[in-house]
Amino acid sequence: MSVASAEKSADVRAGRPIAPARRSRLSQTKREWVAAYLFLLPDVLGLLLFVGIPMVLSLSLGFFDVSGFGTYTFSGLDNYRRMFGDPLFLGSLQVTIKYVVVLVPGLYITGLGLALLVKRPAPLLGVFRAMLFLPNVISLVVVALIWKFLLVDRIGVANVLLSKIGMGGRSWLGDPDLALWALLGVTIWFLMGFYMIIFLAGLQEIPREYYDAARIDGAGAWRSFWDITLPLLKPTSFFVLLVSLVAAVAGPQGFDLVYVMTSGGPANATNLTTYYIFDQAFRYSNIGYASAMASFLVLVLLVFSGILFALTRGGRFDFD
Amino acid sequence: MTLQGGTRTFGVSRRSLIKAGAGAAGGLGLFGPSALPLISPRSAMAQDAPLTFWQFYAPGGQVASQTTWFEETVASWNEQNDQQVELVYVPNSDYMDGTKLPTAFAAGEGPDLFIISPGDFLRYYNGGVLQDLTPFMEQEAIDDFFPDVLANRMVDGKVYGLPMEVEPMAFYYGLRAWEEAGLTDGDIPQTWEQLLEVGQQLTNDQRFGILFDTNPGYYQNFTWYPFMWQGGAEIQNDDATSGMRDPGAVAALKFWQDAVNMGVAPRTVLGGGGWDVAPNLSTGYCAIQNVGIWAISALAENAPDFEYGIFKLPIPEGGEYTTDLGGWAFVANSQGKNPEAAAQFIVWALGTMSEDSIQRGVAWCTEAKSDMAPRQSVQEVAEQGGFAEGPLAQFAQEILPGGRAEPRVTPEVYNSISVAIQAAMLNGTDPEQAAEQAATEIEAFLATYDGAPIL
Repeated sequence: MSVASAEKSADVRAGRPIAPARRSRLSQTKREWVAAYLFLLPDVLGLLLFVGIPMVLSLSLGFFDVSGFGTYTFSGLDNYRRMFGDPLFLGSLQVTIKYVVVLVPGLYITGLGLALLVKRPAPLLGVFRAMLFLPNVISLVVVALIWKFLLVDRIGVANVLLSKIGMGGRSWLGDPDLALWALLGVTIWFLMGFYMIIFLAGLQEIPREYYDAARIDGAGAWRSFWDITLPLLKPTSFFVLLVSLVAAVAGPQGFDLVYVMTSGGPANATNLTTYYIFDQAFRYSNIGYASAMASFLVLVLLVFSGILFALTRGGRFDFD
Repeated sequence: MTLQGGTRTFGVSRRSLIKAGAGAAGGLGLFGPSALPLISPRSAMAQDAPLTFWQFYAPGGQVASQTTWFEETVASWNEQNDQQVELVYVPNSDYMDGTKLPTAFAAGEGPDLFIISPGDFLRYYNGGVLQDLTPFMEQEAIDDFFPDVLANRMVDGKVYGLPMEVEPMAFYYGLRAWEEAGLTDGDIPQTWEQLLEVGQQLTNDQRFGILFDTNPGYYQNFTWYPFMWQGGAEIQNDDATSGMRDPGAVAALKFWQDAVNMGVAPRTVLGGGGWDVAPNLSTGYCAIQNVGIWAISALAENAPDFEYGIFKLPIPEGGEYTTDLGGWAFVANSQGKNPEAAAQFIVWALGTMSEDSIQRGVAWCTEAKSDMAPRQSVQEVAEQGGFAEGPLAQFAQEILPGGRAEPRVTPEVYNSISVAIQAAMLNGTDPEQAAEQAATEIEAFLATYDGAPIL
């Protein structure tokens, strides 16, 4: 019995008149809608203010020649035309494609692999999980500085250790053939703990009984992985692929690590499109051109996200 | 929107655009008209607020003596004037090639006073934000500045910036590494070839022989220009073609490429970059470093026990000696709170014939920092004091003569040269091909460029 109905019964027993129940002007359903919108309002306001309006302004700036000193001249599609004739922009797209093609599967494999490793009960499991996630709580600038120091030519720790097996003497950040790989290695090291946690959550959702049944039917670990784990991880996989794709194309780690570790060099070997956009906007004051490139990048991301959504029917999965 | 010059270009002010955006937001019911002042706080700013002076020295800079010089200069002005000046420290990494200044100006919130290198002069001059200092200066004081040094801060005979220093480039070497390799004073290289030979002798599995800057940026270009000039090439020829495809420029690209390919020069540098001497030279990462005069005070501050020598830039076969004379200048924002007062502050600090102004220049070049003087009067006083002996004397007598002021170029020209240097030095691109590409891009840009002259 609720408190209200108990009080009502007491009033009836005591012979006191019962006050008429105050009727709300809104139905229960509508009140729930209002409550929901009120809860959502801060997020919506924040998104509009800090994402929506800047995006609209950025999209608009792409049609202007912006001097960087307060003068805006309407230039129509000039910035977009310039983009496709700019070898540095096209080069940066090539670098970004290589980066995405390695990073997204790399994060998927390392994240899932680590999650499978730390899923089983073991001594000090919490410590291992925390250690793997730890890079995510460190500032990207600090991460970049530490790795830059470790990868220094000749005297860096990486080269000193590799020289013991006859593989030293490489310029990890100064050789155009190696710099992007070094950057990818650091990026995967930095992000894999985050994706491990997501996969871990997905793995813990899979009922234990499925594995027990498979084992009784004679399935080994490999068969269980392919026929139970992977299919039931579809929603998690979709989320990881989508988020890592966005992170690879426009995530802060790409920009921050490049900014601190290589400045887009050597010879533009790590000049990701996000970094090139920054360069054009802030080093050359080509804010209109940079905005056009940013809009193009958003469009590319939307197209790829759309394809992912289409392939998975909007992220809905069945497990037939 | 207004039509400009009969073309289909529409001039829209930044404020109009932001207001339009904010208006659109208001239309969504998110903001009322009262929100606009929040977007443009400058409109509500008091006219007598202190002038902000952005630089990377004070308060809290890396070298105490330089911080003190800035603080004392501003304190002295503030004692004598109603219009106060306030120092705003911007870390060096955010200043040189950084975002702080460009972002501030793009937002219409640029500082009232700031310092710039010649490499950035045209960007701000062509942007229309540099205040003419000429009306506030006596002709005698203008004439007191060395013409070459002042020239790249002038347009159409007007002065838009006053240099505080002249910073020639040279090579520094660690004496211990030099002696360990069995080298003597007689081995000081005179030519590029000799430099590479000495570099090879100094290179081992823990150390590079020679260090050139490897990071793409204004500074790397600045350090590369003298090698191009030594072979007789120029960024821009008199006939508006680019000298980047001339043999001198190709040879300079190849010289740096050879140094890297031979394993004598590193592909990456330590610390803040190639300008940072303590993390690279005094730690033993390299034995010889291509760096400017400021390294004297930097080593005195950060590695006082490190013993080193200096020699001037070697030249190519048949080339002529020169070096690059860098240095920063005080400039005023013509769209700031009080541009006239800002100009007066600069002239008072660096550009009058008063004893105070000259002594301030001397103190900066010989005590706070280790620099050559931008003015005859400062040079004369300094020669009796700080420039009389030691490394500064070597710079004054041996390295400075024959030097050329750092060129002022637009970001577009800078970028084409930077891409060529990076490609040849670090990517193994044929220097001739890299130079040709840069020359083509520069010529295409110059064909339509109508800003202040590139020097």
